[in-house]
Amino acid sequence: MAVTATVSTTTPRSFIWLEKIANNFLLRRLVKAFFTIWIVTTLTFFIVRAMPGNAVDILIQDLTAAGMSADDARNQAASLLSINLNQPAHEQYLEYLANMVRGDFGKSYKSRGLKVADMIAAVLPWTLFSVGLSLLITFLLGVGLGALMAYKRDTWIDHLLSNLAATLDAVSPYLIGLLAILTLSVTWKIVPIQETRGALSPGIQPEFSLEFFADVFMHVKMLLLVYVLSSVGSWMLRMKSNTVSVLGEDYVTVAKARGLPDTRILTAYVGRNATLPLFTLLAISIGYVVGGSILLERLFTYRGVGFLLGDAIASRDYPVMQGVFLIMTVAVVFANLLADYLYGWLDPRIRISGGGQ
Amino acid sequence: MQPTLSVQNLSIEYQARRGRVQAIRNVSFEVHRGEALALIGESGSGKTTLGLGIVQLLPSTAKITQGKALYRRDTLTLDALTLQGKALREFRWKECAMVFQSALNALNPVLRIADQFGDTAKAHGYLQGRALQERAEQLLRMVRLDPERVWKSFPHELSGGMRQRVLIALGLLLEPQLLILDEPTTALDILTQRNIMDVLKELRAKLDFALIFISHDLSLAAELADRVATVYAGKIVEIADVATTFQDPHHPYTIGLINAVPTLRGAKEDLTSIPGSPPDLIELPPGCKFHPRCPLADYRCREQEPELEPIKPGHAVACWQWRSARAAMEKFRS
Repeated sequence: MAVTATVSTTTPRSFIWLEKIANNFLLRRLVKAFFTIWIVTTLTFFIVRAMPGNAVDILIQDLTAAGMSADDARNQAASLLSINLNQPAHEQYLEYLANMVRGDFGKSYKSRGLKVADMIAAVLPWTLFSVGLSLLITFLLGVGLGALMAYKRDTWIDHLLSNLAATLDAVSPYLIGLLAILTLSVTWKIVPIQETRGALSPGIQPEFSLEFFADVFMHVKMLLLVYVLSSVGSWMLRMKSNTVSVLGEDYVTVAKARGLPDTRILTAYVGRNATLPLFTLLAISIGYVVGGSILLERLFTYRGVGFLLGDAIASRDYPVMQGVFLIMTVAVVFANLLADYLYGWLDPRIRISGGGQ
Repeated sequence: MQPTLSVQNLSIEYQARRGRVQAIRNVSFEVHRGEALALIGESGSGKTTLGLGIVQLLPSTAKITQGKALYRRDTLTLDALTLQGKALREFRWKECAMVFQSALNALNPVLRIADQFGDTAKAHGYLQGRALQERAEQLLRMVRLDPERVWKSFPHELSGGMRQRVLIALGLLLEPQLLILDEPTTALDILTQRNIMDVLKELRAKLDFALIFISHDLSLAAELADRVATVYAGKIVEIADVATTFQDPHHPYTIGLINAVPTLRGAKEDLTSIPGSPPDLIELPPGCKFHPRCPLADYRCREQEPELEPIKPGHAVACWQWRSARAAMEKFRS
């Protein structure tokens, strides 16, 4: 940045440290990240309120549907939900921001008295675990199979895997979930779907024991399977196309001419260069690990963040929705930041230097 | 003395959608220790295929249909075309190093130069660590690079000319008996090209390997080579020592190539290009493959293909008209 350099010569000495701070790469990225989070938070705040109906309406609807008279339902709802929805939106917004800065995400409308932060903290580990593990499996499987497809391209194994990957990539995860239940649980009766509901069986305590881990796995396996099946296709296809293009690079031919062993060429020459771009995607995907899928977690009654969000949307529980969207935003934004740093670290051509060089 | 490499009756074909591409047709030549042979010809004449064939790096659509490439070192003799597995891996680079034309992308972008040397050394059980670095630094200095600057660098931190010289240094690491240079200066600017040529000349004077220099640039061949083989449509049409090739060529194609090179003192009018373009290697013309572009072609040239025949010791030509070619070509120029 030649411009900065010329400016700094004319800047008074006392301001040089200020300029250094302003030019700090990490600091600039952090400021940008927080700005992004604020924008998303604001949009979320107003968009959830723009949804038809509100928490009170929905509860009244539910109560009358259960057989209560309209007046009773209204009174009951008012006493259950001690919230003032008539307060002007901008006042609510400022109050929300002020609380958020103090780390207070508010309390749930529906589950009265429960703090949003606690509610999320209770379900977050299950989602982190299930989505995180499936991401890891998907990545390793996708990279391995993708490389295999590239090495064996135009053989039956490549045609088989390519078509499989394209199909899996095209079918909606929810449909794969339904098909998994239909085949594994209903037709073939391999997986008893009743028992796998929830994240843990009643009576099992989180502890470091085989029994605990076996139970955790028993409950998560169907969800894991569907997550992996629904996302492995795109990783496979990406890895295949990366590998095919790296295999055509001159440095691979030269490596062969240099008499390097095939294993060394596969790992350090083809593998490393082909997976490099995937690491950015992996880092970005890590951002979605806190989200979980609303549809899939409901389908398998797995009480994670997606399940909580689905419930909150259905009952217009604004604070819970805002809380979930906030942590998802934070995770995605910081995962992107991580991706930038990771790529710079892995690929020597894009090393990020401090300052504005 | 036995030649380091003798290629005998080599033919290579590519399988294309339209048919078989006859890239190399019945080619034979020899290179001795300390000698440099230049293969010159237009793009698409099969020069690169020949180089790739010797180290078995042809694409999977290519097939060697006949021939041998006998490589000799001391008492060892082996056919480079039939090597497989470990033997092939050891032959590559340790016996025969090939420097490719695309220097810019010939080095793995994510490995430091030090690691690229390390990889090569390790693959062949060569020196490691400090000893390797000393040897590599010596070679880098030989190709006029500053080892301090280069050793810890990534390829993208070096210029095209520097990368090409790194590759040449890397090629010499295992002291191969045979070095194939495939258009080593093509993608480089004229000053860098000069620099590389000077490096190569120096190396030839210092070291004692057999060199195959593939180029379309006659002036570079004249500078570096001891013998020149002119390749046309996958076949050697003339082979002679460098002085004969430039002063007394007998194949109309060689004569045409030389007349197409501008000289510093010659008048612009003296330049003549060869009319037409190289033949389609799938449907080759009958008879001499050069006859459609040759001003001297007669009925015989159109029907019967001439074979390479010696006309003097060390000078062979594949042309029916070789006796009259020089004089006749002079006439056609004016």
